[in-house]
Amino acid sequence: MALLDVKQLTVSLTSKTSTLDAVSELTFQLQPGKTVGLVGESGAGKSMIGRTIAQLLPPGFAVTGGELLFDGEDLVSMAPERRRALLGRDIAFIPQEPLSALNPVLTIGQQFREHLEHIGKGGAGWKDRAAAELEAVHLNEPRALLNRYPHQLSGGMCQRVLIAMAFASRPRLLIADEPTTALDVSVQARIVRLIGEMQKRDGTAVIFITHDLRLAAEICDDVIVLYAGRQAEYGPAEVLFRAPAHPYTRCLELAVPDVTGDPRGLYLLPERMPGLKAIAELKGCRFATRCPLADDTCHMQEPDLAEVAPGHVSACWKSFATEGITPPPAPAAAARGSEKILEARGLSKSFVTNWRLFGGASHFHALKAADFIVRDAEFVGVVGESGSGKSTLARTLIGLETPTSGTLQLLGRDIIGTDGGTRDWRQKQMQIVFQDPQSALNPRRKVGSIVAQALEVGGPSLSAEALEVRIRDLLSDTGLSQEMAARYPSQLSGGQKQRVNIARALCRLPRLLIADEIASGLDVSVQAQLLNLLLRLREELGFSMLFISHDLAVVRYLCDRVLVMSKGEIVEHGETEVVFSDPQHPYTRSLLAAVPKGVRVPQVEELSA
Amino acid sequence: MAQRFNWLRSGRVITGLVIVTGLILCAIFAPLLAPNDPTEQDILAILVPPVWLPGGDWAFPFGTDSLGRCVLSRLIFGSRIALTVAVFGALGAMVLGSILAHIAGYFGGWVDWVIGRVVEIWLSFPPVILSLILMVGLGAGLQNVILAIILVDWTRFCRVLRSDVMVVAQRDYVAAARLLGFSHWRTITREILPATLPLLITLMSLEMGVAVVVEAILSFVGMSVGAEVPAWGQMIADARADIYSAPWVLVLPILAIFVTVFGFNILGDGLRRTLDTRLTQTERA
Repeated sequence: MALLDVKQLTVSLTSKTSTLDAVSELTFQLQPGKTVGLVGESGAGKSMIGRTIAQLLPPGFAVTGGELLFDGEDLVSMAPERRRALLGRDIAFIPQEPLSALNPVLTIGQQFREHLEHIGKGGAGWKDRAAAELEAVHLNEPRALLNRYPHQLSGGMCQRVLIAMAFASRPRLLIADEPTTALDVSVQARIVRLIGEMQKRDGTAVIFITHDLRLAAEICDDVIVLYAGRQAEYGPAEVLFRAPAHPYTRCLELAVPDVTGDPRGLYLLPERMPGLKAIAELKGCRFATRCPLADDTCHMQEPDLAEVAPGHVSACWKSFATEGITPPPAPAAAARGSEKILEARGLSKSFVTNWRLFGGASHFHALKAADFIVRDAEFVGVVGESGSGKSTLARTLIGLETPTSGTLQLLGRDIIGTDGGTRDWRQKQMQIVFQDPQSALNPRRKVGSIVAQALEVGGPSLSAEALEVRIRDLLSDTGLSQEMAARYPSQLSGGQKQRVNIARALCRLPRLLIADEIASGLDVSVQAQLLNLLLRLREELGFSMLFISHDLAVVRYLCDRVLVMSKGEIVEHGETEVVFSDPQHPYTRSLLAAVPKGVRVPQVEELSA
Repeated sequence: MAQRFNWLRSGRVITGLVIVTGLILCAIFAPLLAPNDPTEQDILAILVPPVWLPGGDWAFPFGTDSLGRCVLSRLIFGSRIALTVAVFGALGAMVLGSILAHIAGYFGGWVDWVIGRVVEIWLSFPPVILSLILMVGLGAGLQNVILAIILVDWTRFCRVLRSDVMVVAQRDYVAAARLLGFSHWRTITREILPATLPLLITLMSLEMGVAVVVEAILSFVGMSVGAEVPAWGQMIADARADIYSAPWVLVLPILAIFVTVFGFNILGDGLRRTLDTRLTQTERA
């Protein structure tokens, strides 16, 4: 019998006037010891299933139909006492943000003890049991760890602690909601392997929620692709990834660049996933408005889930016509100039970490003697794990940090520690695009005022009409409609905000952009649009860019050259294709190996070896 | 645009606004509203009770005090002093406190350290004692009352606003403005101030209530305006002698202070709830 049997589960946002479905008729079964992946863009409803099980639905949402059978018992209609007895014991959770899931003022030991008491394993000797659990997730010196606080641990270590806690009760079901999204690629690989290992030990069934189709294909037995709250496709992971039946699955895959294989373009899904209101008004297939294969039937009638192969279902009128969807050709290589835009020689930055009155101070070298050149109209990628010095490099280049030593030349002009005139010139020639548009856009300014903000410097220099024209140009350059000018940032979507962010940096036509993780945290279809926008803007405006990212596939797609950073040092650099196809440094190789490629990893053999 | 006037929909804000507007009208039109000259002494009508008590006289609706002065007229004219002090005292404290708060929160480092220590030393004096000492040093008079309130209460603004400025200054859009070439002054006024303004307005409203109380205390001990100008604190002080025979003379100015402070506080509280971005952001999310 299946451990978890989800039958026609419907979760809706109910108000006095309407009922809007966030999840419609979700149906799947999960056998003990198996892993099912829930994949989709944000707003697809993939987190709803975990929230339904935990009874942590957002306000206004409720289960309006179907059953959620856990070992034969319905979790929806179950008495609260019974559910509380199951949660944390038979059903465990691993959250997305490990740092915010742990209480910062309690030690790991205190929190572990609390959890052990909840699952009935508290009392004398809890320390030994906690240490044994921590050892099982390969944490060194578990006893010392019990006395430490969450902030003294890295994100990966916190996630291991949470995994140890989740598996302490030998749960039968584990729900992992984007457990690796906040972590580095190499840490992600280790965490995912660890979950697999613990799962084998306890025979746990896992629901793995992720936005990354390739990661899901690597670790899951079955994958469910959700679109606008409805199952688009459900089948064996391997099949789903290699030969998807539903066009959405295919489009998702093609919207993400690869780290290997021939260069290709990115498939651009138009517009956005319909919101809850829009879904209720749709008559036909929910994906029809964005589907490349849609015809009249698709727009008029909603397809049911139909079996296309044993154990493989798809909700599409044209299942297996997905071969017809092909990615556009790879973007043509840009004509790169030879002029040196930015040249760094021996650029270093160290921070004083432990200052003492006597005996000097200890230094942390965040950036060690970096040498590199960015040429005209060239996109240079900077990759590395967090803590490798990528952000320090960006902050030093832009002038938010003063380098400890070394030289930095912009268009042949020295720009370190210079007078006001040079600073103005530097700010005109070089601009930064910040990572988080939420924080980078002043919520009290309208979009029009934000993009033209640079022209405010030194008083009004343009007439009102000229300003208007500049705003209009910037908005159309970055693919935003003219009405946006009168809106506030809070009224925009994540992708639109990032476009405004870019438009502001481009306002005075800089020669060099520094972009810090600007494509991270966006949905894949939005990310694809953004990457193509950057390529188009380069062609039209001819700027260079230093593109900092932890996503190697994106860097390969976008950048001509790449710098690989580790522990504050540039360990490898060169043409992107050369570095990625033939990495020389072991660190580069390990980074590339950690990228999910959509091939199922044989976990057990590898671990026992 | 509809969002912009959301704060008007709060019951607290409306209650506060009604009270405060009423007071402002009283103060402006005092000569028209007051039935009698507030300083005129009518020796024949001493301690006349208010009209709702036996022996009341419509010529003096709220009765008279021990010198035969009309209590209602004195209350109405007293609101002029109270509001003058409230407006200028709070405004001055706000300007001084918020300028220092923005400097400390924006620049940080040693500037922040120095300003922070000054605020702490300042706060270690009991405020009433400090204002009395200041008044002794400065001498009595309305300007000096206002000055004393500014010098005592700027720290309230400085402490609370500083932490808000620090949070906003960490946002990337402030760094972005600097990198676009904005001067420090322009960054503070164009990027940071709009974000701290709601808190500023709220604090200012609360400070007005505090200023009214401080003025009452100082005029109670005779350190505010001269005896010829009616003020609420002074009225309380004058009425102490007849507390048993004519309690209304004491109770009415206390009520006036209570209502005024209540009006400012509920307005401030309502504004905090509707304007505070931290609250509205969680609602939006």
